[in-house]
Amino acid sequence: MNILPGIKIVDLGLFIEKHKILIISDLHLGIEASLNKQGYLIPRFQFDEIKTRLKKMLEEVNPKTIIFNGDLKHEFGSIDRQEWNQILELFDSLKDKKIIVIEGNHDKILEPITKKRNLKIEERYDIDNITVIHGNYIPEKLNKIIIIGHEHPAISFPDRQDERYKCFLKGKYKNHDLLVTPSFSFLSQGTDIKRENLLSPFLQQSLKDFEIYVVEDKVYKFGKLTNTF
Amino acid sequence: MLTYLKEPHKREDVLRILNPLVKEWFFSKFKDFSLTQLYGLLEIHNKNNILITAPTGGTKTLTSTLSIINELITLAEHNLLQNQVYAIYINPLKSLSRDIEVNLNNPIREIKEIAKKQGKEININIFSRTGDTTPSEKQKMNKISPHILICTPETLAIVLNSPKFVEKLKHVKYLIIDEIHALAENKRGTHLSISVERLQHLTQNNITRIGLSASIAPLDEIAQFLVGSDRDCLIVDVNLEKQLDFKVLSPVPDLINTTFKNINDELYDLLHKLIQEHRTTLIFTNTRAGTERVIHTLKENYPKLYNENIGAHHGSLSKTLRHSVEDRLRNGEMKVVVSSTSLELGLDIGSIDLVICIGSPKSVARTLQRFGRSNHQLEGVTKARIIVTDRDDLIECSVMLKQIIERKIDRIHIPTNCLDVLAQHIYGIAISDKIHIKDLYKLITSAYPYKSLDHKDFNEILDYLSGQYISLEDRYIYAKIWHDTETGMIGKRGKLSRVLYMTNIGTIPDETSIKVKIGETILGTIDEAFLEKLKRGDVFVLGGSRYLFKHAKGTVAQVESTATLKPTVPSWVSEMLPLSFDLASEIQRFRKLMKERFERKISKEEILKFIDEFLYVDGLSKNAIYEYFSQQYKYVKVIPDEKSIIIEYFTDQDGSYIVFHTLYGRRVNDVLSRCIAYAIGRLQHKDVEISICDNGFYISGKKEKIQVLRALNLLKSHELRKVAELAIEKTEILKRRFRHCATRSLMILRNYKGVTKRVGRQQVSSMILLNAVRRISNNFPILSEARREVLEDLMDVTNATKILEGIESGKITIKEIKTNVPSPFAFNIVSQGRLDMLKMKDRIEFLRRMHQQVLNKIK
Repeated sequence: MNILPGIKIVDLGLFIEKHKILIISDLHLGIEASLNKQGYLIPRFQFDEIKTRLKKMLEEVNPKTIIFNGDLKHEFGSIDRQEWNQILELFDSLKDKKIIVIEGNHDKILEPITKKRNLKIEERYDIDNITVIHGNYIPEKLNKIIIIGHEHPAISFPDRQDERYKCFLKGKYKNHDLLVTPSFSFLSQGTDIKRENLLSPFLQQSLKDFEIYVVEDKVYKFGKLTNTF
Repeated sequence: MLTYLKEPHKREDVLRILNPLVKEWFFSKFKDFSLTQLYGLLEIHNKNNILITAPTGGTKTLTSTLSIINELITLAEHNLLQNQVYAIYINPLKSLSRDIEVNLNNPIREIKEIAKKQGKEININIFSRTGDTTPSEKQKMNKISPHILICTPETLAIVLNSPKFVEKLKHVKYLIIDEIHALAENKRGTHLSISVERLQHLTQNNITRIGLSASIAPLDEIAQFLVGSDRDCLIVDVNLEKQLDFKVLSPVPDLINTTFKNINDELYDLLHKLIQEHRTTLIFTNTRAGTERVIHTLKENYPKLYNENIGAHHGSLSKTLRHSVEDRLRNGEMKVVVSSTSLELGLDIGSIDLVICIGSPKSVARTLQRFGRSNHQLEGVTKARIIVTDRDDLIECSVMLKQIIERKIDRIHIPTNCLDVLAQHIYGIAISDKIHIKDLYKLITSAYPYKSLDHKDFNEILDYLSGQYISLEDRYIYAKIWHDTETGMIGKRGKLSRVLYMTNIGTIPDETSIKVKIGETILGTIDEAFLEKLKRGDVFVLGGSRYLFKHAKGTVAQVESTATLKPTVPSWVSEMLPLSFDLASEIQRFRKLMKERFERKISKEEILKFIDEFLYVDGLSKNAIYEYFSQQYKYVKVIPDEKSIIIEYFTDQDGSYIVFHTLYGRRVNDVLSRCIAYAIGRLQHKDVEISICDNGFYISGKKEKIQVLRALNLLKSHELRKVAELAIEKTEILKRRFRHCATRSLMILRNYKGVTKRVGRQQVSSMILLNAVRRISNNFPILSEARREVLEDLMDVTNATKILEGIESGKITIKEIKTNVPSPFAFNIVSQGRLDMLKMKDRIEFLRRMHQQVLNKIK
């Protein structure tokens, strides 16, 4: 399903068809280690699921470029052994693709890892009339279409508020088209945009006219947010 | 073998065992031995295990310890007293432990005086050790051993793992468990039961076990809980013929036609009158919100009379506030104290002239404990009143009073095979020493709650602790023990294991208190669990007023006041005490007897006479009870009872309701309702609303017809538990209990690497934890334990299964009726407010349905 002309939804990512670029965001690799440190001894399972889903997406659209649109890593202040191992393994599995890493707010100390694979951390990525940026701040110049992550959008329905479904958002920011990708991580189902405060400065506005695309076993187009009440 | 002692020992026989110093001291303080002492002293002296149950009074403590003190004094006289612990006295409360320390040190000091006069030097050390004991006091104890150690169950577990102190426990001969009734029915008791077996294992003695209990049932089981599997125990049920002055009161003559506001106003007038007629009154309200409300209203209505002399006592208050109330009570400075449940235990609170329970205490045992607080000394009259505010309460309390007078105490439930507590203890055992799993299994199954522990469950816990569920490379983070499957040995693993264990011992879950505010004004607090249920726009009741929930951040919930909107969630569901199954059965029996009389068209006078003879109630209550039954019978010609369930169908503007008249208590109804709703969900692919209370439950669907009987027929009693497990899978309660179990099994650590987790809403959601665990296995042992806890301890799947068997065999019949307006008996069931929306299992199917609805709307 295309969310905009030329931009297709592929599982939890967006695919720019013309240039064969796949965009995913918010993997938060290392999150289990971070929870372990806080005394939550939950086992590590996220990476396997990430690898499996990503593999399917690669098989489906065979991209030339992969963009990690921020928060590839989880831990702010240090690098955990889990993060080293998993991120490097991830990069190595994509050896035949061009990899672009955009900085997210959790990626403060990502550079030592990306350096090991000769990758730079970018602030943003622009192509045609599209700007890909993490979404935690608003830069001065922006193209017509903005793709952000950061928010981990999800939606719930009346009478069953703790069942959340990851979704894409499509709306407007000033006169730009704004697309928000769901998180590509599986520890939580995301932020319920109807019931919780949103983080991104791009989303400090009424979302009632934003369109919702839920991703579960397939893509479900729900139309305007107000339809889901 | 369990033996009931029917006769106390002869006075001369008891006198004979006493050391002359002790005898001289005893008779300088007391006229003679109490009945409890005549039963117990000699048996303890002869090192027989014994369970003593007696109403609240001063002599249980001395009964349990005097023989031991006697022995210690004799040893001291002959210079044979060693620097070690001879007896451990377990008490559930830290403050009580301190009190007992004081209470036992007084006689020791006085006996010492007597001895001094005779030129003898006697030094007996009695210390208490709890979470409040300072490090320097603990160090002192390492050098100078207490001969009698008083501590809480948690402290016992800690000292068993303290290398310096544990040496002193190797010759313990006596173990006293006080307030055993308050421990056996929850996981603190389960935890204690293994600690006791560890102690036994450590000492290689046969420790004499002494249990002290308030009125409780079933005594056989409590005795077995005390002594463990396959050991003998004597049971003493001291029935002191105290003068009883109990009454059930209604604030208004007509509970039916009086408005709620009037009943409420009259309630406070009645409370005020009773309080003013007595010196010190203790009021129990069942909930913390109720406690606050009573105090607030009394102060408002009579500001000159109630100010400093009225106080609250409940778990949400700070330690300082509680101690202040306890002290002032002891000094006779309080006119009235209002408590939820915290003052049920035997803390010394001076003399109380009158105990009032507002609303039913829900079990005979609990009522007896509360009543027992009236005039703590055994000799006086026990004066108590229960004030009821609706008709079901009236019947419930009237039947309860009958049970009390006839000494029929309802049974408690003892949790069994708790895997989370097991995990914590195996970890503790492995830390102190290597052990073979065969010996470990034997030790654990000596504890009564683990008598029937499955080998499979045992092995799964070992796997969990040794990190078998985790990949090899990550195992070092998770494994707490090593398990050599070839030799069968286990031991501790990791340098941090001792610290981790010692700082995370315990079974009491951390509960966050959420402050409810309008702007900056604090209105009160609610449970985190309650907050989890709230969504924007919900209206709930707090302290008698209604509030609209806006949002929550951290530990603060912001609300708006509202007088007009109807509550959308029942208030304080998590706090409601459940009606005991046994008492429910008695109420059903009364219903049957009433039903038979109405069916036989017996006259009103005759029926009133019957009520008079059967129950112990006054004229107004008698009439109110008669009217209630009469109205029900006149309206629908059926009365539900223990052998007949009535299903009542009616519709109003909000939807259609199916009311089940199943007076089995909410623990059973929670299971039945959820399973039936689950079956409906599978049959008709719809979500239904359920609401439960002690008297029954209802199921409601928006407009479609619900095929309740078909659903009920689908449920088979031998599968009920499986269905119940599926039905609770997505509930808040399972998530919450899972979190508690995960904390007890040390999967979530409160204290980790020097950091204590601040309890607050920043904590990782239970959903995330559950997700992670489910990915390993849906039968991960900690998750299984959470299910067991919900279904067996919180709810009652065992009795629910028996009910279903009764229905299947035809012993319990089902009758359906249709009404336009709910029948009188149904009224309370329906006005409860929605409990839960039972969700269908499949989230994708739900999503598809939502999507279809939206597509339809757009078209």
